[in-house]
Amino acid sequence: MSEIEVRNLHFSYTKGQEVLAGITLDLNLRPTAIIGQNGAGKTTFVKLLKGLLKPTEGDIFVKGYNTKEKSVAFLARYMGLVFQNPNDQIFKSKLIDEVMFGPLNIGQDEKTAKRNSLEALDLVGLRNRINENPYDLSLSDRKLVSIASILAMDTDIVVFDEPTIAQDYRGKEKIKDIIRYLKDKGKLVITIIHDMDFVAETFERVIVFNRGKVLLDGDTRFVYSYRDKLRTASLEQPYVMQLAQKLHIGTPLLTVDEFTDWFNKR
Amino acid sequence: MRTLSLYQEGDSIIHKIDPITKIIFVLITILIPIIMGTLNSAFAFLIISLTLVIIAGVIKKVLPIVGFTSIILVTVIIIQGLYYFNNRTPFFAIGTVVFYKEGLLYALEIILRIYSIINSVSLLMFTTKPSDLVEALVKKGLSPRIGYVFSSVLQIIPQMMSTVDTIIDAQRSRGMEVEGSFSRRIRAFIPLIGPAVISSLIDTKERAMALEVRAFNSRYKKTFLNEGTTFKYADVMQVSLISILIISIVLRFVH
Repeated sequence: MSEIEVRNLHFSYTKGQEVLAGITLDLNLRPTAIIGQNGAGKTTFVKLLKGLLKPTEGDIFVKGYNTKEKSVAFLARYMGLVFQNPNDQIFKSKLIDEVMFGPLNIGQDEKTAKRNSLEALDLVGLRNRINENPYDLSLSDRKLVSIASILAMDTDIVVFDEPTIAQDYRGKEKIKDIIRYLKDKGKLVITIIHDMDFVAETFERVIVFNRGKVLLDGDTRFVYSYRDKLRTASLEQPYVMQLAQKLHIGTPLLTVDEFTDWFNKR
Repeated sequence: MRTLSLYQEGDSIIHKIDPITKIIFVLITILIPIIMGTLNSAFAFLIISLTLVIIAGVIKKVLPIVGFTSIILVTVIIIQGLYYFNNRTPFFAIGTVVFYKEGLLYALEIILRIYSIINSVSLLMFTTKPSDLVEALVKKGLSPRIGYVFSSVLQIIPQMMSTVDTIIDAQRSRGMEVEGSFSRRIRAFIPLIGPAVISSLIDTKERAMALEVRAFNSRYKKTFLNEGTTFKYADVMQVSLISILIISIVLRFVH
């Protein structure tokens, strides 16, 4: 059984205007990036996975549970979703309390919740600020708080909506580390993202959404080699790959590391 | 951008009348029946405003409001019918409860007035774009600041509503139940209202700065981007409406 099974998924906000028009796919443990231009239906898709929206046709099974039949709060035990804007969730006056809110909601006892929260804060590098007010932190640190508050719930599936927005290089590296760490722990990571270079370096599978349908789906290198198809979805390849093509290098290189390896061996 | 507006697109003659004339009309439908204090004047204004609503083609939008108000107006009939201080002549009785003619007539007058006010205010709201209304008032000398307060509220409320939706989603995603028993809903309140208040404060600060970099508080006389729709007979109509008001006041004192 895959972690998530999506079967013939259709969805529309207003009748007759389908945002998602027939999506069937399985999501399993490979870190997966969902890319596509604005309005392609990415956020809607993620909200459907989480049960925040219900399919107008078709089914989604998360860990075997049909999202139509379970409440969002129930599904929260299995899937965490980090929202784009951390200000949409932060309400406690202490960092640690904010992070512990989710774990306690899904039935972790006080001790486990505290332990998981400290661990999560450690991971995002905010362990030494647990007694501060989240609103005294910068926006990028608040984003890390919102990530920690989901990680502490220790769900098998973690979904990020645009994690790299408002993050500088250091923040992006940290998020990259977190995603790899989650993968090593055997968790499924799904991300909606516009940063192609970040995807190239971090994710193993890429799904391209275009007009409510899946345009491409497969290994990162495989998907990014379809330059023209990506263009039809208003997407570009990672810079390293564009460079490799301009230099007529035969192999489709994805990352800076791959490029330097190739260059040194030349 | 979504705005909170009751405006209905249309090209009736009423839509073409300028906002100020419509405001004066609203004032007159409120004032004259009160000044005259007769059932006939209230009835006349109900007919006039109702006709205008039909001409404007917004009667379908007005009916639900009338319906809703009627529920409240039933209490007026009961209270005035039973307890109006001039009650003398019994009209009918339900068991031992007696309704009086004077009270019922007075209730009728109130009801007619309220319905005509609803009609004329609806006429203003349904056939005027909020932005046109505010701009017309600012041109007449309303402070641009106050004008901005009016028009911004119409934009901010839908924006806050969508923020609240996102917040609800974010907290549900962290396992918070928002449905179910009363106590559960109460407990869900703080995690929802906290971020809502803070993010609207942040929004307000940013809005203020965005306005200030565009010289919102500049003391120079402001010009207008939109020429605005000019209505040929605005002056004539305004003068005649105000004359009607004056005539009614004079009539009242003559009698």
